[in-house]
Amino acid sequence: MQEGRPLAPTEINRALLNSILEPPRWFWPVVSILGLIVLAAAITIGVMVDKGLGITGLGRPVVWGFFITNFVFWIGISHAGVMLSAILRLAKAEWRRPATRAAEVLTIFSLMTAMTMPIVHTGRPWRILYWVFPYDFARGLWPNIRTPLVWDPSAILTYLTSSTLFVLIALVPDFAVLRDHTTGISHRIYSVLAMGWEGNARQWKLQIIAGILLSALILPVFVSVHSIVSWDFGMAMAVKTWHSTIFAPYFVVGAVHSGVSAVAFVMILLRWMYSWQDYIRHEHIDALGRLLIVVATGWFYFFVMEVIFGIYGREADEVAVRALQFTQWPFDVWSYVFVGTTYFLPVGIWLFRSGRRNLWVMSTACISVNIGMWLERYLIIVPGLVNKQVFTFTWAGYVPSPAEIIIVGATFALVSMLMLLFSRVMPLVPLYDIKEGEILRTEVQVGRRVVPATFRED
Amino acid sequence: MSSNGNGHHHEGMWVFPDPVTATRDLVGKITARSGVFTLALAVAGILFVLGIIGFVAKASTSGFSDPGPWGYYMAIFSFIFLITASAPLVAVAFRFTKSHWRRPVSRVSELFAVVGVLNVVMFIPVMLALPPIENVAYVVGSHSELAARRSIWLGMSGVPLGAPHWWDMLGIVSLAVASLGILWLSALPDMAQARHITTGFRRSLYTLLAGHWYGTKKQWLHQKAGLAILGGLYFMMLIFVQFLIVSDYAMSLVPGWKDSILPPLYTVLGLQSCLGLILIILFVMRRFGGYGEYIGVSPFWSASKILLGLTLLWTYHLFAFFVTFWYGRLEVEQNVLKYFIFQSYSGVFWFQILFTFFIPFFLMIWNPIRRSDWGPPLAGLSALGGCFLYNIRTFVGSFNVGEIYEPILTRVPPPVYPDLWDVFIVLGGLGAAVFVYMLAARLLPVLSIWEVKEGAKYQHMDTLIRKEYLVLAKPE
Repeated sequence: MQEGRPLAPTEINRALLNSILEPPRWFWPVVSILGLIVLAAAITIGVMVDKGLGITGLGRPVVWGFFITNFVFWIGISHAGVMLSAILRLAKAEWRRPATRAAEVLTIFSLMTAMTMPIVHTGRPWRILYWVFPYDFARGLWPNIRTPLVWDPSAILTYLTSSTLFVLIALVPDFAVLRDHTTGISHRIYSVLAMGWEGNARQWKLQIIAGILLSALILPVFVSVHSIVSWDFGMAMAVKTWHSTIFAPYFVVGAVHSGVSAVAFVMILLRWMYSWQDYIRHEHIDALGRLLIVVATGWFYFFVMEVIFGIYGREADEVAVRALQFTQWPFDVWSYVFVGTTYFLPVGIWLFRSGRRNLWVMSTACISVNIGMWLERYLIIVPGLVNKQVFTFTWAGYVPSPAEIIIVGATFALVSMLMLLFSRVMPLVPLYDIKEGEILRTEVQVGRRVVPATFRED
Repeated sequence: MSSNGNGHHHEGMWVFPDPVTATRDLVGKITARSGVFTLALAVAGILFVLGIIGFVAKASTSGFSDPGPWGYYMAIFSFIFLITASAPLVAVAFRFTKSHWRRPVSRVSELFAVVGVLNVVMFIPVMLALPPIENVAYVVGSHSELAARRSIWLGMSGVPLGAPHWWDMLGIVSLAVASLGILWLSALPDMAQARHITTGFRRSLYTLLAGHWYGTKKQWLHQKAGLAILGGLYFMMLIFVQFLIVSDYAMSLVPGWKDSILPPLYTVLGLQSCLGLILIILFVMRRFGGYGEYIGVSPFWSASKILLGLTLLWTYHLFAFFVTFWYGRLEVEQNVLKYFIFQSYSGVFWFQILFTFFIPFFLMIWNPIRRSDWGPPLAGLSALGGCFLYNIRTFVGSFNVGEIYEPILTRVPPPVYPDLWDVFIVLGGLGAAVFVYMLAARLLPVLSIWEVKEGAKYQHMDTLIRKEYLVLAKPE
């Protein structure tokens, strides 16, 4: 699979650096609008800190709502980076090339955004310090390291650190190109970041080895992050439907599903915003669509297993939660929307080549997946908590307040703004990867047909 | 690049068979007589007969009213079923991803479809040994027993149409039929060519099976579409049937064992061990079967990475199961852990972990071992051993748990060791599977000739800058 025309290195530099060297006129207005939304959320958080969590819809027994749902959602999106970059790099999938950088950067920004959610959720963010520092070790008080609530920040911070390193290593050759195309203060900054890169054989060898090693090392971290997030729920015995052995792989596959869909959508947006038609081609989106069929079907299998074994035990309280999820308003409607938007609609589209190659349709499918995946997390968290208590008179519903909606909505603006700002200073499509792809592409004559081919080292 | 016989080699990693002579050469290999092959077939046949003796003895001494004595029979059935039913998926999956290295692998994996017939026959006693879902001895109001044991059939009284027994049989028959369909479709072009080369029985068989195949463009398109559709169907059926088997014949027999990760754990183990077995067969063919011209090191190298991935995936699933139960601290979960992992079957468990995880993992992380034709099969052999032990642990354990209608497992039953008939049954099951596969390998080309020839057109060596590299063409 190889489409598009051959591209010269100078042409690649010019086109892919245009977001930095010649930013489009819409750039600052769009960033400003997104910034205003983020500001509105910051003010809302301020009000919430002042007034307390009473202004949210949270209460007993539903103590986890929109914020934690959003936390799990953004952790999920962050799984796109390693899936696309590390795994496809190790698998030597040629079509990965334009998608890797955007995926890696999306990973970092979504992880950062995810980390804000539990902090906001505490209502008194500064009290997080009390969990860490005032422990009286002398009197035998220690943090409980056996809880996933301690594993969570460890795993997420490790993932964030390694992902950042991963991006920086891959950026070094591109920093050198930017160093050679800029002047003044920009030139000096890019010179520092390029770390003396000259593109000699030894530097390339080290860079490639570092990339492969990091790809392999980051994989266990990648799997551990969402597994540990799933164990926030899986280890909780008090909430029926949460204590399930399948949660870890179910969450990881779901995260990859939503993350790769998000990257596909970001790629389509980048292609449209920066006119990168020669770099982000239909074949790349097509390949992502085909990958997503497999991922989505894997996810659906885990979903079915989770539901079947939820009712397998025929325990009355667990069956009651399942009944709440699938047969009672409003959760039943959300459940059908969730299954439809996460699996049936997008996979129905991806099964057809015409669907995978129509960018509007593809965008719809990718957004649909993420609507569904957000709802999935909501439907795991809230119905279980609503039915948590033994006595029916303590059951309570949950309706998110405007404050929660504003804060959660603003996280999407925050990630978009950070991605745009990144594209202003660093290329979102890796220059050297595209150039390498161009060098390796060739053709083979088979009978009367010319078939696209690539050089492979092994 | 050096020339050797019919084809060309590039340091043993890739081979480029000569498409002109490939058909005659490969068909010639299945018609040629081989003393070693005949001896191996005879040994497998003898084991098969031993198995039948063991089965008859077990049936006459134990009957089918109690599942306990049939634990080892179930384990060997599950072992063979898990591997042989998963094997055709290897051909399906890598044909779907258009991986060129799969070409020598495809037919080796598809031939396991023939063992599917053995699976159907072997399943009949298993059906007889499975107790009903309803507790016929249930006393209304009893708290010590359930009216119906927990199962995926949800304890529906008088589950329609003989569930789970006949539904499980239907699944296994469907899998066998679908895999035979994949084998037939895939072998069509080879049989059509072979009918012009062979004589006697083989010629008649190929003429019958190849039908009106002449290799027109339309026929090729239909063949590829058929393989894709059947492949997709097979994949979904396989996952579903494995889910049925492991939940009906393991989980639902252990009171209170509710473990949603068990079906994927079982499926991943099947994929790991079937890939291991396929690599062993490829190794034997390459080293001892005269297929060195057609099987380079690249299938081993590429498959080894997948084997490593599956090894890690299985271990991850096992850890997810373990940690959730371990932290859960529920009585039933603790007893399940003690029964299968820490006490009764702890020896089997740790050996299984050694074979399923440690040996394959520490072999497959080394590049030189992955880039050899012996390393991945060695890891595969270890994975097969692990799979065998897993089935012993899971199914012998589940069949011998005792009071299956109790609400939860409140005690840790002792382990059950095999008697002489069990040993005969296990050896016989293995012998039967090998016997059937070897017979199939005498009837159909063990390499997919058309895929090998197609691959030869899409791959060659070429120079880029100063070095020689493989060029891989990938048509849409």
